[in-house]
Amino acid sequence: MLANPRAGAWLLAGALLLPAMACSDGPGGDDLTVFAASSLTDVLPELVEAYEAAAGTGVSLVFGGSNHLAAQLRDGAPADAFLTADARLVSTSVGAVRFGTNRVVLAVPAGNPARISSTASLADERLRVAVCAIDVPCGAATHALGLPVAADTEEPSVRAVASRLSLGEADVGVVYETDIRAVDGIDGVPGVDLPPSVVEYWAESLTADGDRFVSYLHSDAAIKILHDHGFDA
Amino acid sequence: MRRLLLTLAGLAVVLLVLPILGLLQRMPWSSLPDLLADDVTLDALRVSLVVSLIAAMFVLVLGTPLAWALGRTDLPGRRIVRALVVLPMVLPPVVGGTALLFALGRRGLVGQWLDRWFGLTLPFTLSGAIVAATFVALPFYVIAVEGALRTARRELDDLEGIASTLGAPPFTVLRRITLPRLLPAMGAGLALAWARALGEFGATITFAGNLPGRTQTLPLATFLALQSEPERALALSLVMLVVALAVLLPMRDRWLPGR
Repeated sequence: MLANPRAGAWLLAGALLLPAMACSDGPGGDDLTVFAASSLTDVLPELVEAYEAAAGTGVSLVFGGSNHLAAQLRDGAPADAFLTADARLVSTSVGAVRFGTNRVVLAVPAGNPARISSTASLADERLRVAVCAIDVPCGAATHALGLPVAADTEEPSVRAVASRLSLGEADVGVVYETDIRAVDGIDGVPGVDLPPSVVEYWAESLTADGDRFVSYLHSDAAIKILHDHGFDA
Repeated sequence: MRRLLLTLAGLAVVLLVLPILGLLQRMPWSSLPDLLADDVTLDALRVSLVVSLIAAMFVLVLGTPLAWALGRTDLPGRRIVRALVVLPMVLPPVVGGTALLFALGRRGLVGQWLDRWFGLTLPFTLSGAIVAATFVALPFYVIAVEGALRTARRELDDLEGIASTLGAPPFTVLRRITLPRLLPAMGAGLALAWARALGEFGATITFAGNLPGRTQTLPLATFLALQSEPERALALSLVMLVVALAVLLPMRDRWLPGR
């Protein structure tokens, strides 16, 4: 096959070295690495920018489903702090702190084409209803509402529900209050209130550098940013 | 040289088999019977089998004529069509699912008319999951059969010509000459396409959504279980592994190349 065995050896050496080189600039160094739940996608960059300016260190953000991130952390992924919407995933005994809350609300495509006007629409078989799967925090919060829901799809993340609505594939759905503000193409339904079902955000520090970031979340500046994005802090 | 090649081959086997061992080593054997017998697993298994088998049927019915058109005719534009046909193999399935949504979704290019005229919408339905599975699986079958047709083109031309000259009607030529020579490739292609449909995840969750009992296939159930109940995810993976092996192993000698 290969005419020259030496060429084969070089090829092999190259193949083995390339991934090693690609890894060398991963998380680590002076930067802080923060693992965060995907529902924080819009607020965190702004928070981090403020923190970087105040603390003088860079922060790299890794977004994902809370449970995936927690599993990665268990398997030794390098992170300084972990921000999640699932209190069960952090060790609240050793310094994890609550830094904000969010709640689930009824959402419709922009302009409310199906003229949704009550929570009963969630149980309407003729409507397309999108909610989060119960396996993820927004799904657990939706389930905790105790309302009858005739779901047509149970999405793996709250942003997937938002996208079903913004694309007009679903007529009505349940998302976080903050998503109404952050996602184009979806509206809330004024005057229709769901029973209160609150999701708490927790931050766990994993290193000494992480401590500083986590305590920053309780600063006035951070609370203002969280408020601006619709979180209660 | 031989040693180097064997080492690399061994490395390839390790890369392919190691993850399976990892899966089996973490398998919750004691709670397995309960996990396997509950509704989530059984529903997902049923949806997966229905979706992948119907998709395989569509692949056979649509893919065979397409392979013939690409491999045995001189139609103009064949090359472009051939490139387009392989596209779903190269595209990330999530992109495929998004494309399907923009084409066949309720506000999609064609989908809005399906909805308006026939009240037919594909997203969030079993049919939608079948469309997604067919979309990703079709190329595997088409290139297998088309390759066989092109390789055997001259032989087929000769034999079919002789048969026709001897007075065999077209259907007899097809049944006695063409099909027997294509069967191994068709079987291999179909097995691959079915396996691809069974394992399909990205296009399905993007286009058809996820609802237990309707559109939640085994891969979707596995992905969601991984978020909350890793043990269930392992059990579901085992079901997929067993179903795939049960179908692919008996076919190995008869259909898959390299007997």
